[in-house]
Amino acid sequence: MNDLPLDQRLEILADSAKYDVSCSSSGSSRKGTPGGLGSSASSGICHTWTADGRCISLFKILLTNACIYDCAYCINRRSNDIPRAALTPDEVVRLTADFYRRNYIEGLFLSTGVVRSPDHTMEQLIAVARRLREDERFNGYIHLKVVPGADPLLVEEVGRYADRVSVNIELPSRQSLYLLAPDKPRDAVIKPMRQLSGLIESAKEARSKSRKAPQFAPAGQSTQLIVGATPESDREIITLSEGLYQRLGMKRVYYSAFIPVASDYRLPALAGPPLLREHRLYQADWLLRFYGFSAHELLDECRPNLDQRFDPKTCWAMRHLHLFPVEVNRADYEVLLRVPGIGVRSAQRIVQARRHTRLGEAELKRLGVVLKRARWFLTAGGRSLAGKTLDEARLAEVLLAPNRQKARQAQLELFPASADSSAMTGEL
Amino acid sequence: MTIIRYDGSFEGFLCAAALTIDGAEPSGFLWGEGGDGGLFDQVVAVASDRDAALAFFEHIVREVSRDAFATARHAFHSEAAVVELLLWRYLRLGFRVGRRLEGMKADPLVQPVQQLARRVEREVHRFLGFVRFREVEWSGGATLFYAPIEPETDVLPFLAPHFADRLADRPWVIHDLRRGQALFCEGGRVKLLRGVELAGAPRSTKEEDVCAALWQGYFKRLAIEARRNPDLQRQLVPLRHRKHLTEFGDSSSGAATNEP
Repeated sequence: MNDLPLDQRLEILADSAKYDVSCSSSGSSRKGTPGGLGSSASSGICHTWTADGRCISLFKILLTNACIYDCAYCINRRSNDIPRAALTPDEVVRLTADFYRRNYIEGLFLSTGVVRSPDHTMEQLIAVARRLREDERFNGYIHLKVVPGADPLLVEEVGRYADRVSVNIELPSRQSLYLLAPDKPRDAVIKPMRQLSGLIESAKEARSKSRKAPQFAPAGQSTQLIVGATPESDREIITLSEGLYQRLGMKRVYYSAFIPVASDYRLPALAGPPLLREHRLYQADWLLRFYGFSAHELLDECRPNLDQRFDPKTCWAMRHLHLFPVEVNRADYEVLLRVPGIGVRSAQRIVQARRHTRLGEAELKRLGVVLKRARWFLTAGGRSLAGKTLDEARLAEVLLAPNRQKARQAQLELFPASADSSAMTGEL
Repeated sequence: MTIIRYDGSFEGFLCAAALTIDGAEPSGFLWGEGGDGGLFDQVVAVASDRDAALAFFEHIVREVSRDAFATARHAFHSEAAVVELLLWRYLRLGFRVGRRLEGMKADPLVQPVQQLARRVEREVHRFLGFVRFREVEWSGGATLFYAPIEPETDVLPFLAPHFADRLADRPWVIHDLRRGQALFCEGGRVKLLRGVELAGAPRSTKEEDVCAALWQGYFKRLAIEARRNPDLQRQLVPLRHRKHLTEFGDSSSGAATNEP
């Protein structure tokens, strides 16, 4: 397994690592130290984008793609016939430092297949992170995977070296996980999440009292789940995410459109990965985290799935036309955030600018507020910006009209480009 | 009508603004090889003076705000046409309204300046990610990390603190080929040098070629075939940037160019 040359092993392991979608390097701020290498920027920095349009911020790699488990959805499942390879801790440390020094990356995102046992595997991951931090005095970003079923004492150690930690929940329900990943009981996933959440909270509290208190995963924890491999509705998924954000203080939940990487009778046959569904889930996720929406407002028993034609905020607004239009010069910030087409940045600019002047259409345009959708939901100085009001059906027609170009549908921007205020608007 | 001639630097602009901000609005600013204005213009030359610039900086921070100064500094480095005049009006308004200036986002004197500043901030952020260092041979067997860039705006002054903090243990250079300027960092201290041209193409070290090839191979494999979206990639990494990005280099027979 280790007799292949480094370049080939690196490529095999990149192939095996790429389905983990987390790429964020945000949420941690660390200055450089004399004689040390690197720093961390709290906003996160994207360094490049691959041919699928996903950003590379961290050097995402596995220690090994050998695995004792046989999870149906995973490319690295034991029964999958793919080339296997491993990197030594030395090699990972060396590659990380070399790539970092050339500014290819913000840091390391290290994961691995499970070898021998969860504890043994976890120890291997920790050893690499410790070497980077202690021997190389590396101040860049480190994201470590926590292996479900690892000893709580090891979980405690992870956060000492990592900026961010993650345990992948993988599938939205207990039954699905049981069906597709029989080696990974749901509790083995949830338990370390709970423990991490507690440790992150208490470290934060300790540090608010004393700057000298040790850090524990200062960029928090994230998780990922696969969309479209199992029959759960968007409502189940978004409700689960809401719970993870509220109860476990999760920083991010990533959604990964299911791509069949191994054929299995338990998996559905799809024409292609459900990218549009994934996109709508991310939009709904944003509404939970930055726009003050709750899951039950977006989806309920009668509407268990997001409308693929519209973004979820527009959908919500069309069902609540009685709340609109709102007056741009008076509406509260929270109300502005609920106007379709107005994002966090636009809402902030409106609130600041209107302290100094009355806003009309010209002023809004100068602020960079995009009125294409928003004009149907706003008045400025009492006058409707659309010039007329429409019922839900007419409005749906109008809003859909410019989107009729089929070509664009295939090329959705899955991740917005700019990342400079990602912490605020949640981009990245 | 008065036209102001200054040395084209931000420091020089601050000196010029300091001298004129209480008087009549100048009809324009000149620097470099520019002409001498129209027949009826009077050209006034203002010398650059570090102390005067610093004093005016403190004046702005005190009377307007630190944020407004940061906006002005970023906007200046956009190198947009007539940016000096826009900044001059912006600052004069600032001295009248004080702290409120940055919030007046819909004001016709404030908005264009903030927009220019945002353009520069965006490009600075982008280059925090897009700078690519190569280890090249330097004098006397030593090596140096060298990164050529060709930004649209003058981003170098804003890149300096980030990379000085991050890569303090080896000497490095970030070279703005378009402006002939370079940041040079050794022992954690950064200098901005003007009029920098290379005598010849820098020679990569052996380790450099190995490392770049590893990165290119990795980069290529990290894309998921079923999600292929080169248009989105082009939007996020515009073609003009790719020349200096190692992962799009042609050293492995175009393998990393990601063309369909």
